[in-house]
Amino acid sequence: MRFWRVIEPHIGFLLQGFALTIAACLLAIVGAVLLGALTASMRSSGNRWVRGAANAYGDVFRNVPFLVQLFFFFYGLPELGIYIGAFETGVIAMSIAGGAFVSDVILSGIMTVDTGVIDAAKVSGLNRVKIFTRIVLPIALRVSVRPMGSVLINLVLTSSILSTITVNELTGAAKIVAATTFKPFEVYAVLLVLYASLTTLLSFAISATHRRLNRFMMGG
Amino acid sequence: MRYADFTPYDIVLLLQGLGVTLALFIGTTLIGLAIGLLLAVVHHYRIPGCRPVIVLVTEALKNSPVLVQLFLVFFGIPAFLHIRMTPVEAATLTISLNTAAFAFVVFRSGIESIDRDQIEAAKVFGLDRSQILRFVIAPQAAAFSVGPLVGILVNQLQVTSLISVIGVFDLTKIGNILNLRTLQPFIVWAVIGLIYYLAAKTLALAGSRVEAALRKSVKWGGI
Repeated sequence: MRFWRVIEPHIGFLLQGFALTIAACLLAIVGAVLLGALTASMRSSGNRWVRGAANAYGDVFRNVPFLVQLFFFFYGLPELGIYIGAFETGVIAMSIAGGAFVSDVILSGIMTVDTGVIDAAKVSGLNRVKIFTRIVLPIALRVSVRPMGSVLINLVLTSSILSTITVNELTGAAKIVAATTFKPFEVYAVLLVLYASLTTLLSFAISATHRRLNRFMMGG
Repeated sequence: MRYADFTPYDIVLLLQGLGVTLALFIGTTLIGLAIGLLLAVVHHYRIPGCRPVIVLVTEALKNSPVLVQLFLVFFGIPAFLHIRMTPVEAATLTISLNTAAFAFVVFRSGIESIDRDQIEAAKVFGLDRSQILRFVIAPQAAAFSVGPLVGILVNQLQVTSLISVIGVFDLTKIGNILNLRTLQPFIVWAVIGLIYYLAAKTLALAGSRVEAALRKSVKWGGI
């Protein structure tokens, strides 16, 4: 098979790139969910200024292309005297961009929580932090598994853009392989199928998680 | 004057970049929506053998990075078929197909949102298939689809920034040039970001106007 013949000598190098993609995605997912939960809690706050600041963050980072954000951090941070590697810059940029989308998902999850539940928690004598972390957030996260999943899949696809700032993750590694073998069609076709199967697997996992977390809602 | 300073001509450069970005965005949107609509109609009429192919291709386009698709079209296809392709052609082809894949899903669910009973009723009234499509399905599907479609287009506007990577002189590429010449990344990328932000906001505003106009007929207005 001609595709395999092209890829086979470089499979180790590509796997290294794949490992870097996975590492970047996992770190960015953790960062994005933490930042998103924080932003969502700020956006549901009663204070006008806190709410405004969080809304502005979400608005800006959802409406500016990720490539522009990435260049802003990649070229801008050294100006501030912060010298970190391209990989770290990429993970930070992905977390910040992802956080804006995650906050949207978690916020709409928070909105679905019945006010009666919150009143009941208040009457039970829980303080505000406890109500948010123990009552509101678990319910909100349960309904937002599916939309959160599509944000995370987008994050995986976005990670390919890190190749433009010299990070040799899967796409960056494939670029090098395509340049050394002079067989760009075969290399990129395999890459496209790889990404598509990775994200499809991810979406199956998300559906399974959704079903598991909501199993008692199904009845029967 | 040093070469590193900003000059008034930079504004012309930015406008040129914005022009390229907008032209490519509008062009690919029109082509993409047309293809997406065609796919949705073909899918709706259950033409034999078409359904699995359409679903497979659109899913592959939605589930792989646009950057990889761009590389496949710009570097891969010319090497494979021994043809020439300019960056603008490659970008137009890729982004159009990508938009089509996302638009297809929206149009499909728009068509499926229409009650079967309505189509049955239209058949009983003696409307033929094309009349049902034009007078029953299309107006309702359009009103249903505009909201999600605007979201997709705002996203696609941002996706066009990736074409700078294969050498199209769009807004992001101009940003790159200014960044390398002036070495003032904060100013350059903030300005570029602001322009994209304003374009996205304008698009979203226009979209909500269109949606309100289309939904007027659907809204309950009293007897």
